[in-house]
Amino acid sequence: MNGFVAMFRKEITQMLRDRGTLLFALVIPVFELILFGVIDMNAKHIPTVVFDQSHTQESRRLLDQFENTSYMDVIAEVPSRAALERAIVSGRAPVAIEIPPDYARNLAAGRQADVLIMIDGSDQSVATQALAAANGVVLQQGLQDLLEKSGQRPRVEAHPVMMFNPDMRSANLLIPGLIAILLTFSGTILSAFAIVKERERGTLEQLMVTPVSPLAVVVGKLLPYLGLAYFQLILIVALMRFLFRVPINGSLTLLLVLSPIYLVSLLALGLLVSSRARTQMEAMQMAMGFMLPSVLLSGYVFPITSLPVSPHCRCRCRWSRTFSPPRTSSRLREGS
Amino acid sequence: MNGEIGVDVQGVTKDFGSVRALEDVTLQVPRGEIFGLLGPNGSGKSTLIRILCGLLVPTAGRATVDGLDVEREGEQVRQHIGYVSQAFSLYRDLTVDENLDFFSSIYRLQGADRKERIEWVINLAHLGPYRDRLAGVLSGGWRQRLALAAALMHRPRVLFLDEPTAGIDPVARRELWDLLFELAAGGVTMFVTTHYMDEAERCGTVAYLYMSRLIVSGRPQALKALPEVTPEGTRRVEAACEEGVAKLMTSARTLPYVHAATIFGTSLHLLIDANVSDQKVEQDLQAFGITDVKVSPIEPSLEDVFVRLTETRGREIEAARPQVVQV
Repeated sequence: MNGFVAMFRKEITQMLRDRGTLLFALVIPVFELILFGVIDMNAKHIPTVVFDQSHTQESRRLLDQFENTSYMDVIAEVPSRAALERAIVSGRAPVAIEIPPDYARNLAAGRQADVLIMIDGSDQSVATQALAAANGVVLQQGLQDLLEKSGQRPRVEAHPVMMFNPDMRSANLLIPGLIAILLTFSGTILSAFAIVKERERGTLEQLMVTPVSPLAVVVGKLLPYLGLAYFQLILIVALMRFLFRVPINGSLTLLLVLSPIYLVSLLALGLLVSSRARTQMEAMQMAMGFMLPSVLLSGYVFPITSLPVSPHCRCRCRWSRTFSPPRTSSRLREGS
Repeated sequence: MNGEIGVDVQGVTKDFGSVRALEDVTLQVPRGEIFGLLGPNGSGKSTLIRILCGLLVPTAGRATVDGLDVEREGEQVRQHIGYVSQAFSLYRDLTVDENLDFFSSIYRLQGADRKERIEWVINLAHLGPYRDRLAGVLSGGWRQRLALAAALMHRPRVLFLDEPTAGIDPVARRELWDLLFELAAGGVTMFVTTHYMDEAERCGTVAYLYMSRLIVSGRPQALKALPEVTPEGTRRVEAACEEGVAKLMTSARTLPYVHAATIFGTSLHLLIDANVSDQKVEQDLQAFGITDVKVSPIEPSLEDVFVRLTETRGREIEAARPQVVQV
């Protein structure tokens, strides 16, 4: 380990002097955290247009129920089917409801009453939530009518309990996972850059003609970045807890003690990249090659159960699952 | 100086895949001498230096630096050599002081010893006024001095300089060479690559690499006296004129007794038949309409030597080339 202290001190000096690195490691993650923190994944108040041909008390009641869910806001009543379609195509409203002229008559006669609901399917998360809400409203309405007529009460009632996140707050779900993602990005890229920069500038060659040991170069260079990534972790966890009020029910100590293991594995990934890449540009692209799959297969973006891979393959991607978002999120939220 | 060998290269060959960068190179540099390695771009100069510094492993042959085998005793070799690479390769985002401090601690210098060494190299390279500047903002000449200072920190016994004066101004170049002479006088062996003939003239020994092979090596005076450089029955003259040297050359080349003509500034170096007099050449050239031409006998310059040897020995190498590659 000859030359370790020299490498370590030099790296710290360089790191503190390099505004770009500090910006990348500390400011950008905070910015992204705030961005994700204010996002609400639940689609509320979806603009809705209505073509009500029935104009009866019954049709009015149905529309009120749509609005009561707070998923949909009726922003306009239009005079024709064509106008409904225009509203969806132009992007003015993702949901359009058409009530036929015979709606109330059919209801009164005990026949099936139809309602047309058009949903803009190009935005999946809005579409699925709108669909669920619309189905819910219509089912509720139908059931109510049926029960009123027969004078009975429903036999089965569900009592769902949303554990860990009773209010369904998006921040509670997004931010803990985001921590792992941000660390994955900055940990891998910072360490890859640190070594590739030396190669690009020719300083690595200069080091190789001195008696400094290769291990000292690697450890001396990566240790400061481990510190930086750890500081980043603490910063983000603090912001999460105090700015976005995400409760930490699990063991904070365990998180802080175990996370360096994850960070070391990220730095090692960066080291692997830097052993191949000749320029920082190349390193960036190779690091992306590692990070995108590890983020996409982590369960943060898509549910793990929906990944199109065999169970065997799923075991293979386990590292990203084990240490990445789901584990971090549950460590924070569960009171394990 | 005391007859010991500073750098010894024995039959070194280096292949990069199917490309042969060095072919059976053998040379010796006495301790405390300045050795100049010349050759066109891509001839293998940097490859040889990198092998001697332990950055590359030769495909065949062996090399020792200060008596230590570069392959087997790399660790000790690195303790005793300094390397100034072609491109500036210190930390641009560290100051002069920080760079020197870093290298001093890499070489395990400590306490008072370390301070003293840093002061020593700073004085040697006259870096005093720039101590707090970032290395990245220094101009070419000062960067080179800093690189040299860092390479001298541990008082190396052999110093490798790969085109140390490329792209720096003439004054800085002169000063750098004065520094090199000072160090050589102190017993440091210098291994320098360069493209400048005036620098080559100042070296104790020069060698010329051409297409991966060493075509000649020896003291500048000995090289100039080589029979191949001025073959029997020929001699060298200089034809000087005020202007129109290009026309002078095309004219000279039409003369039957002129074997070679090379422009040097405003004059022409000619290799002619020995039995042709200066006056005869002068008259023949004036016949082309160049009235102010003056012809006088000259010694071959190092450039003449290399140009001539490239023509003779280089041809042989090129002719033998296809067979060599298949080996």
